[in-house]
Amino acid sequence: MKLLRLACLLACAAFLAAGSLKAAAQTADKAGPAAKAQPLSTRVVAYEIEARLDPAKKSIQASEVLTYHNLTGQPQQTFPFHLYLNAFQPQSTFMTESHRDDPGFEWKPAYRGSIRITRLEVAGMGDLTDRMQFVHPDDSNADDRTVMQVELPKPIPPGGDVQFKISFEDQMPRVVARTGYVRDFFMVGQWFPKVGVWWKGAWNCHQFHETTEFFADFGTFDVKLTVPQGEIVGAGGDLISAVSSSDGTKTLTYHSEDVHDFSWTASPHFQVVEDTWTGSGGTVKIHVLMSPGHDRTTARYLEALKGTLQAYDEWIGPYPYDRITVVDPPHGGLEAGGMEYPTLVTADTAWWMPKRAYVPELVLVHEFGHQYWYGMVATNEFEEAWLDEGINSYLEAKVMDHLYGKETSVFQFRWTQLGEDAEQRRDYLRVADMDPLTRFGWKFQSDSAYGGISYGKTASVLLTLEKIIGEKTLMQALHAYFLRYRFTHPTGEDFLKTVEEVSGKNLRWYFDQAVYGTNILDYEILDVQSDPVNWYEEDERAAKPGSRLFRNYVTVHRKGDFIFPVDLAVKFDDGQTAREHWDGRDRWVRYTHDRPAEIVSAEIDPEHQILLDRDLFNNSYRVEADKRAVRKLSNIWIFLTQWLAQCLAWLT
Amino acid sequence: MASTKPATFLEGWRLLLRHPSLFFWVYLVNLVLAWIGTRGFARRIGAVLNHSLIADRLVYGFDLGVVTSLRALPGSAFGSPATGLLGPSFVFTVFLLFITGGLLVTYYNDAPLSIGPFFEACGHYFWRFVRLMISFAVLLVPLLILAGLGLRLFGRIDDRAVSPFTAVIFMGVALAGIVVLLMCVRLWFDMAQVIAVAEDEPRMRKALRRAAGLLRQNFGSLFWLYFRISLLGWIGFGAGVRIWMSHIRPESINTAILLGQLSILIWLGTRLWQRASEARWYRLYWDAQTAESPAPATVVSSAVFGTPAES
Repeated sequence: MKLLRLACLLACAAFLAAGSLKAAAQTADKAGPAAKAQPLSTRVVAYEIEARLDPAKKSIQASEVLTYHNLTGQPQQTFPFHLYLNAFQPQSTFMTESHRDDPGFEWKPAYRGSIRITRLEVAGMGDLTDRMQFVHPDDSNADDRTVMQVELPKPIPPGGDVQFKISFEDQMPRVVARTGYVRDFFMVGQWFPKVGVWWKGAWNCHQFHETTEFFADFGTFDVKLTVPQGEIVGAGGDLISAVSSSDGTKTLTYHSEDVHDFSWTASPHFQVVEDTWTGSGGTVKIHVLMSPGHDRTTARYLEALKGTLQAYDEWIGPYPYDRITVVDPPHGGLEAGGMEYPTLVTADTAWWMPKRAYVPELVLVHEFGHQYWYGMVATNEFEEAWLDEGINSYLEAKVMDHLYGKETSVFQFRWTQLGEDAEQRRDYLRVADMDPLTRFGWKFQSDSAYGGISYGKTASVLLTLEKIIGEKTLMQALHAYFLRYRFTHPTGEDFLKTVEEVSGKNLRWYFDQAVYGTNILDYEILDVQSDPVNWYEEDERAAKPGSRLFRNYVTVHRKGDFIFPVDLAVKFDDGQTAREHWDGRDRWVRYTHDRPAEIVSAEIDPEHQILLDRDLFNNSYRVEADKRAVRKLSNIWIFLTQWLAQCLAWLT
Repeated sequence: MASTKPATFLEGWRLLLRHPSLFFWVYLVNLVLAWIGTRGFARRIGAVLNHSLIADRLVYGFDLGVVTSLRALPGSAFGSPATGLLGPSFVFTVFLLFITGGLLVTYYNDAPLSIGPFFEACGHYFWRFVRLMISFAVLLVPLLILAGLGLRLFGRIDDRAVSPFTAVIFMGVALAGIVVLLMCVRLWFDMAQVIAVAEDEPRMRKALRRAAGLLRQNFGSLFWLYFRISLLGWIGFGAGVRIWMSHIRPESINTAILLGQLSILIWLGTRLWQRASEARWYRLYWDAQTAESPAPATVVSSAVFGTPAES
C-alpha cells in the first residue's frame, strides 16, 4: 500500500511537472527563446509596436499600444511623452544648441526628421488626440516639440493600468546624430512615443538637448517590423518569427524584456556574422552586422566584444541577456556609430583603419559597457550623465588596458603610443575648471565641456580614486553598486555612498572637490637644493666627493585649490631614495634630508596615480637637465619646417 | 629634337655632382632657416621638459599623451605654427627664387661661377623669375578650382556608392590626374626659366610661349625625364621617413636626426637634379638646333658674368 501510494504520488508529481513544463514552454514560445521565469526589473511599461518601413520615402508608419502600470503611489492624470525625432528640425532646442556650439554647422533639408502622432486613444477614455500639447520643461523654446503631454479625463489610480493606443509616422532624418539613414542604411533609435519616468516624486521628461541622452522605465517590448524582403534587420530583441508576404515584404517579430528601449537597424547590404560567448549569465548570441568595405574589422570587433564580456563578467557582474547585436554603420554613416541601446550597439570603423589604432575596439568596449551603465543601471542621462558616461569611460580604460596594454591601448605604433588613461585626461584637461560632474547635461558650458567632464574628468576622478582606496576596492564597489542598483534608477549619491560603504572610508572630502566642485588639482616641485652642511668653511669646498655632508631641501607647492594627499620620492646620487607623505593641506611643505649625497631628482606621486593633476610636468624635477626630449621634438619640428619650405619653394 | 636618352637623365645627375657647392649651400640655408624657426619652440618646451622626469616618455618611446598634455598647458609651449613653420618656409622660398638664376647659369654652362658673378646672375634674372612665379600662381587657380570640383564630386560619389572604395578609386585617379597636370605646368615654367637664362630672354611671355612649344614637341621625353626624377625623390624620401619611424629605436635621437636630414637631402637633391637635367636637355637641344652657332647663353655669360666662353 505504501508503495502504491508512493507510486501514485510520484505519478501525480510527474504529471504536474510535465504540465508546468509545457506551460513554461508555451510561455517561452510566446515570450521568446530566452524568456525568464522571474522578471529582472519592475516592469512599469509594456510596449507593443507595429511598424512598416518605407525605404524610398525614409519613413515609418507605426502604431503603438503602451500599457503603463501606475506604480507611482499616486493617482496620475497627466502623462508626458518623449518625441525625440522632433529634435531634427532647425528650430528645435537640439539644433539651436548644436549651432550655438558649432556656428559652422550648416542646416540641410535632409537633416529634417519628425515624429507625428496622428491619433492618440486611451482605452476606456476615447480619442484624446486633441488633448495633446507640447511642453518645454527646460527652456522657453516654444518651437521645440520633443516633449508632449496629455491630460486624461480622469486619473489612473495607484496600482492601476492605463493603455495608450498611439498611431504615428516617423520621418527619418539623414543621420546627423545617432538616428537616421545614409543611402539605404537605417539606424532607427528613439523612434516611438516614449513615456517619461516618474522619479523622485515627479515626472522626469526633459526636452532633447544637444548634450543629453535618454531616461526611461523598464518593461517589455513586442515589436513587429515590416520591411522589404531584401532588408537585413538587426534589433534589440529576440527574433520570434519572420513571415514573408506576397507584397514583397516580410514581417519580423521581436520580443525583449527587462529593457527600457528598443532600437533596430536595416540595410540590404549587411553581412551577418554570428558567434557566441558563454559567461556566468549563460550563453550570449553575438550578431555582428558588417557594412561593405569593413570586413577587416570583423575579427577585431569580435575579439574586443568577447574580451569585454569576459572582463565585465569577472569584475562587475553577469550579463543577463541572451543576445548582443553589433551594428557597423556604413561609410558616411559614422554619426550613427558609437551609440548604445539595450542589447544593441553601434560601432565605428573605416576601411583604412590601421591595425594598431585601436579605435574600433575602444568604441565597442565603451558601447558595450553601456549595457551595464545605462542599460541595467539605468541612471538619468539627462541629469547625471557622469554616472553612465563617466563610470563607463573609467571601465573602458581598464578593459582596454587589460586587453591591449596600459600605455598602448589606443595607439600601438613603433613611432608613437597612446594609452587610455592619457586619452581620458586629454578630454578633461581642455575643460578642467569649467563644470562640476553633477551639472545637468544641457547646462554645461558647451558640448566640449559636457564631453570633457562627463567622460574624461569622471574617468580621471575614478582613476585617481584608486590611489585612495585601491583599484581592487574600487572594483568591488562597482560590483556592489551594479548588483544593488541594476534594473533601477539610482542617483549619484547612491553610487558615492556605495563606494564609501565598500571602502569603509569617509570620502566626502574627495567627492566634494572632485564630483561636486570644480577644484583644480595641481601640485608641483617648487624647489630642489643640495647645500653642503659646512658651506661656510674653506676646507669644505676642497673636500672629496662622498665625504661631504649635504643638507638637501625639496619644497612641494600646492598650486591648485584641490587638496589631496601626495607622496614624494627623493632620489640621491648614492642610489638611495627617501619617501615622504604629505597631506597636501597647506600651501607648501619643505622636506630636509641630511646625508652624504646630493639630490638627483624629486618626484610627486611616483606611481603616477593622480591623473586628476592638471600639470604632470611640474610633478618632478631632475637636477641635471636632460635635453634629449627637446632635441627629439626639435628634430621633428626642424624636419617638418625644412620639408614644408622645400614644398613651398616648388612654386618658384 | 634633343636626345633624352638615359644620357640626359644621368648627365643631369653628374652635373649636380660636379657642382656640389650649390647643393650644399641650398641645403645649409634650408637647415639654418628651419633651425632658427625652431629656437622659440625649443626654448619654450625646454622650460617644461628639461628638468621633468615625464620627458622620459618622449625619449624612450613617443607617448602622444605627453605631447597632448604639453599642448594643453596654459600658455601653450608649442607656440604659433605661423611663425614657427611658415616664416622660415617663406624666407627659403624667396631665397631659392633668388638663386635660381645663378643655379641655372651654372648648370647650363656646366661651369662654376665665382661668388660675384654668381650673385650677379641671380640678381640679373630675379625679377624675371618673380614675374614667372606670379604667372605660375595665377595658373594654379584653375587647377585649384579643378581640385575643388574633384573634391565635391568625390563627396557625391562617396555619398551614393555602397562600397567605400568607389570614391577612393575615383579620388586616386583624380589625384593622379591633378598631380600630373601640376607636374606639366611646373615643367613648362621650369623650361621657361631655362630659356630665359639660355637666351637671356627678358620677355617672360615669350619665354613661356617658347617653352610651351618646346613642351608640345617634346612632351614625352621632357615629362619622362621630370617624372623619373620626381619618382626617385618620393621613393627615397618615403623610404627614409619609413625607416626613421619604424626601424630606429626611439631613444636613438642622433640616428633619427641623420635619417631625417638624409630624407631632406634626397628631396632637395632630386629637385636640383631636375633643374640640372632640364638645363642640360635644353643645352643639347639648342646645340642640335644651331649646330654651327655657339649657344647664346655662353656669349651672354661671358659678357655679363665673366665666364670664359666655350668653343
